[in-house]
Amino acid sequence: MGFGKYVGARVLWAVVVSLIITTVTFLLLAAAPNPAIREAATQAALQGGDPAAAVERERELRGLNQPLYVRYMDFIQSVYTLDWGWSESRSQPVTEALLQALYYTAQYSIPWTILTITLGPLVGVYSAANMYSWRDHVATGFAFFGYAIPNFFFGIILLLIFGVWFEVVPISYDTSAAVFSLQNVRQLILPVFVLVTGSIGATMRVSRNESAEFQNSDFMKTAKAKGVSPLRAYAYHVMRPTLVPLSTTLVGQLLALFIGSSLLVEVVFGIPGLGRLTFNALLSQDTNLVLGSTLVFTFVAVVGNLLEDLVFTVLDPRINYDDR
Amino acid sequence: MWIGCTDSTADHDGCNPVQSNYLNFLVSAFIVYGMSQRHNDGGSNGRRLGRRQWLSMLGVGGATALAGCSGGDGGDGSDGGTGNETDGDDGMDGGDGGDGSTDTSTYSTAVSASFTTLNPIYNTENGAGNAIARALDQGYTFDEDNEYVPLLYDMSTEDGEVWTFEVREGLQFSDPYGEVTASDFVYLVQEIHQSSWAKSAATTSWQGVTVEETGEYEFQATLESPQLLWPESFDPLLYPIPQALLEPFVAEQDTDGLRQNEELLELQFSGNLGPYVLDEWQRDGGTQYTRNDDYYLQNADDLPDVFNEAPYFDSAEIQVLGEQASRLGALETGEVDQAAIPPERVEEYRNNDEIHVNRVPQPYNEKISVNMRDNGWTTGPGNMFRHKEFRQAMAAAIDKQSLIQGVFRDFAETHFTWQPRFSNFYPPEEDIPQFGVGDSYGSEFARGLAEEAFGQSEYDYSFDGETMVDPDGNQVQLSIYHSAGQETEQLMGEFIAQELGNNLGIDVSVEAIDGTRFNNEYWTTTEFPTPERNDDGEVTNVPDELVDTVNGEEVEWTAPTATNPGPRNVTANEDWDMEIVFGLNTYPRNPLTNSAFFDGATAFYNPVGYYPGFNAEELFDSAQQASSEEELADALVELFANLAEEQPYIMLAFPDSTVGYREGLQGPIENFSNGWNLPAWRYE
Repeated sequence: MGFGKYVGARVLWAVVVSLIITTVTFLLLAAAPNPAIREAATQAALQGGDPAAAVERERELRGLNQPLYVRYMDFIQSVYTLDWGWSESRSQPVTEALLQALYYTAQYSIPWTILTITLGPLVGVYSAANMYSWRDHVATGFAFFGYAIPNFFFGIILLLIFGVWFEVVPISYDTSAAVFSLQNVRQLILPVFVLVTGSIGATMRVSRNESAEFQNSDFMKTAKAKGVSPLRAYAYHVMRPTLVPLSTTLVGQLLALFIGSSLLVEVVFGIPGLGRLTFNALLSQDTNLVLGSTLVFTFVAVVGNLLEDLVFTVLDPRINYDDR
Repeated sequence: MWIGCTDSTADHDGCNPVQSNYLNFLVSAFIVYGMSQRHNDGGSNGRRLGRRQWLSMLGVGGATALAGCSGGDGGDGSDGGTGNETDGDDGMDGGDGGDGSTDTSTYSTAVSASFTTLNPIYNTENGAGNAIARALDQGYTFDEDNEYVPLLYDMSTEDGEVWTFEVREGLQFSDPYGEVTASDFVYLVQEIHQSSWAKSAATTSWQGVTVEETGEYEFQATLESPQLLWPESFDPLLYPIPQALLEPFVAEQDTDGLRQNEELLELQFSGNLGPYVLDEWQRDGGTQYTRNDDYYLQNADDLPDVFNEAPYFDSAEIQVLGEQASRLGALETGEVDQAAIPPERVEEYRNNDEIHVNRVPQPYNEKISVNMRDNGWTTGPGNMFRHKEFRQAMAAAIDKQSLIQGVFRDFAETHFTWQPRFSNFYPPEEDIPQFGVGDSYGSEFARGLAEEAFGQSEYDYSFDGETMVDPDGNQVQLSIYHSAGQETEQLMGEFIAQELGNNLGIDVSVEAIDGTRFNNEYWTTTEFPTPERNDDGEVTNVPDELVDTVNGEEVEWTAPTATNPGPRNVTANEDWDMEIVFGLNTYPRNPLTNSAFFDGATAFYNPVGYYPGFNAEELFDSAQQASSEEELADALVELFANLAEEQPYIMLAFPDSTVGYREGLQGPIENFSNGWNLPAWRYE
């Protein structure tokens, strides 16, 4: 199978997978009790009405008295036309809620992701190049520290030091700050720093160990013998093969660019992003919103898997799809 | 988590009066995490969560401390509003914090939970009520002396049955809606609150009330029976909503349209009706406002002069900061002017020159609910909780003073009967038993009461040495649930377990549970039998499961609800013994509202299956028919004496709300009515 056919087949499969997931979601929803009906029954009882009749009226109003397949078709149509309903816990359309939260999440997750995928391998290769020196130990210590300390705790400590004591960053997040402004940089610097230190460790350690393999490889010796500068040698001959196994996580992280929200960091820094949206939707049993955010994550995961496989060929030409 | 003020709601006693109604008593318990939120959510928070939290009566408590910084979450500082400024707690390092500077041009408040809706017709949350109140006044409020203060309208009555509302002149909606007149209020009540389709938050408040327009600025409401304390119930509290805005929805009976209307959600019609104008509601982020230069109270000559220039800030904002440490950090640095303080950090903040801490008494209680239904007392046969003497024994086994000192850092009052001490209806101390203090506390006293209860049981419970044993000779083992993550609650649970173990020989296990799960699976149920009705809605047949004998008389549950689904044989899905997940409102302004809890076995908020051992219905009736506040007080004294004796819930404490403000802020008071004059708050 050629590359084109392979991609076509994978895309089709992605559509099937997403359909299966939305179908399962629909069935779970159909089986779950509807809180609106419960409320209707309660209100009827309070007003001296008949709870059973109220339940029936409510079911009719919400179309729950229709056959399952009719409801299913409506559901699928709504999903694929982005008519995701109204979020009761936020009093706005679900798609608007998701976009709004995404706007704030992206402001910290984009720099977080870019810094992680660039700094991680760089520090790893640097560490490998200086293996067992004090530089290596400092880099390793930094990586382990960031990996080990819980983000929310680290965030609170940093807020205490830089926000409360030194007052160089604001404690509360100002949603009205312009995206590209000094004010936004000040209020986002801590969350981004906390997240980068939390995620850089794994990437850095993997790239350190991977690149250690290539430092003494024949092609490196050849390169050095030919007088290639160390920077070029590491960039071209060590970094590139190192990135192949890393790409599995890197592509995932790239995809997380927009949805890689962090609930705890958003809570600590007061950022109204996707993490808090999803968490609050779950807590408040906002079915439409939970469903909406689930669908976003589902679609991104499906697309992510697809892209990840394709990226291998870009990074390593030895991988091809001719035999598939 | 406190139920009682729905988050919003309702009575307001202590909550920002949003919409009062019996709906608030029901349904989903809203959960306010953190001791914090309790003072709030909501919020709630808070004291909240959950679906609509219209419950009117619970709160949960808890606060955590984390690495010297803070902990927990929760707290809401529910902030100002025309209602009471009750905040939650928060906590973060106070002490030697930075020297923040106060921005005196913006009045900023930190709260822990965001708002579900700002639509005044549907809001049931206290926190959202405060957010709405920044831009839209309600009909009236109560000042620090508990005196009625007319805002949009004045209310008067001769007999408590016919009430006249006089609408203030000069109230203006935004264009194109024009002036506020009596017809706007009458239309709102008749076509929305009294309709069957709109399902507004105030639906039950206006049931059975006949409303009639009697002039351009005057309307009358006639009640089914006299209610001297009608304003105190907050039932007649209305928001001004333009008739023209509502008419299209009424014509179509479009509930969703009304609920989702942007003008209502963003308060675009507020005109000169609030101290500020809402600029933006950033979901999960908070609200921002600018000063309303035309605020109608500036011209009100029946209010103190300080309102003439109100509000005193150029702008206002409510920031949602989920993390307690962040809220307190913002207070310390001056980014916000107000935030709730958890009890364990109050002393630190009192030593901070830039912050002053107010202690505001609250009507929300901490108590143990004991399950008298068939799914309670899981240790063996014969539910001992049903015996008054056993409940008294439990109350006597728990040292209230130690609880208050150890868990609430002295920021709480002892709780003996269903009213806080600041209530005008609190009975004389000598009229009520005071279990859990002095001679009425201790092992010997408690065991004596327990043995009286054993004597009344058909099962052979007894003491084997220090241990309480069941008929098989095994130690009595019970469990008590608290909200997961609420440190104060957990501490309280452990203290209760220790006291019941030491003084009554009961083995109590303390278990954490998510508040929503407890509410849905343990506290309430939607699967209960219902009576048959004819086409007119009259009950024609009550199934046997809804009939029980109470004090020798046959009682029928003709209107079972999720929070009182029937007699003790009708239960929620899961078994449970005791809980401290929810706190309840005791309604000190209008104690008659407590009939929802105690008006007989069929009272509609009775998840524990309490059957009063005295004629509660009669006492409520006589209180209802009282023609003066003195008569009312007399009737209520007997009621509260009986409740103190009966201990339908094991009453423990009334925690205070502790709120931190930036130094120099004028307006906050250490009174239940704190916040009634929020537009007049200012810096010196």
